[in-house]
Amino acid sequence: MSEPPKHSEEAIQHKVPPNLLHDMRTPLGHILGYSELLIEQMREQGHEEFIPYLQKICKASRELLDTITDNFDSDGTPSGFRSGS
Amino acid sequence: MQRILLVEDNEMNRDMLSRRLQRKGYEVIIALDGQQGVAMAQSRSPDLILMDMSLPVMDGWEATRALKSSPDTKEIPIIALTAHAMSTDREKAMEAGCDDYDTKPIELTRLLAKMETLIERFAKRTEKTASI
Repeated sequence: MSEPPKHSEEAIQHKVPPNLLHDMRTPLGHILGYSELLIEQMREQGHEEFIPYLQKICKASRELLDTITDNFDSDGTPSGFRSGS
Repeated sequence: MQRILLVEDNEMNRDMLSRRLQRKGYEVIIALDGQQGVAMAQSRSPDLILMDMSLPVMDGWEATRALKSSPDTKEIPIIALTAHAMSTDREKAMEAGCDDYDTKPIELTRLLAKMETLIERFAKRTEKTASI
């Protein structure tokens, strides 16, 4: 039986539980969703001065979400560790 | 006003999405688990169902299968919502009978576009059935 490629072992070592990714994405979704909701409401109510701050919250949340998406596959395997990759 | 049934067990997701949909002019009715979702789809005849898939009591896949096998509810479009961006989840949702699929966190513009397409298709189908 052939030995598994080295990157598979590395992938297992670096793998995070899929639930952890889910538990990170869910509150991020709340932060993003409520920030977008507040932007709409602030715009409607003429509170333009608050919008740039809310946009910064949205931007930071999206960056964090992208970091998770770019660095881990949905099963928790770090990107770039897939067999054949 | 179009009626959306949101089946979602997470309190914050429920609150946030229902507020955002109400602001877009939809009436939103809420179920907390799959079993409640099936019952409300039968009693309230929504124009579309947003179904979280990881639900207590009866999960979203089972609830979808139940809705799609009942003559009263089989035509109601269902969009599966899940936080797991896995292609297997998408396949599982479509196999269960969902009409479309979206991942959380919700991108509202994208979700609204999917909702509108399905609601329009559902309305046309219902009109056609009514005129026969």
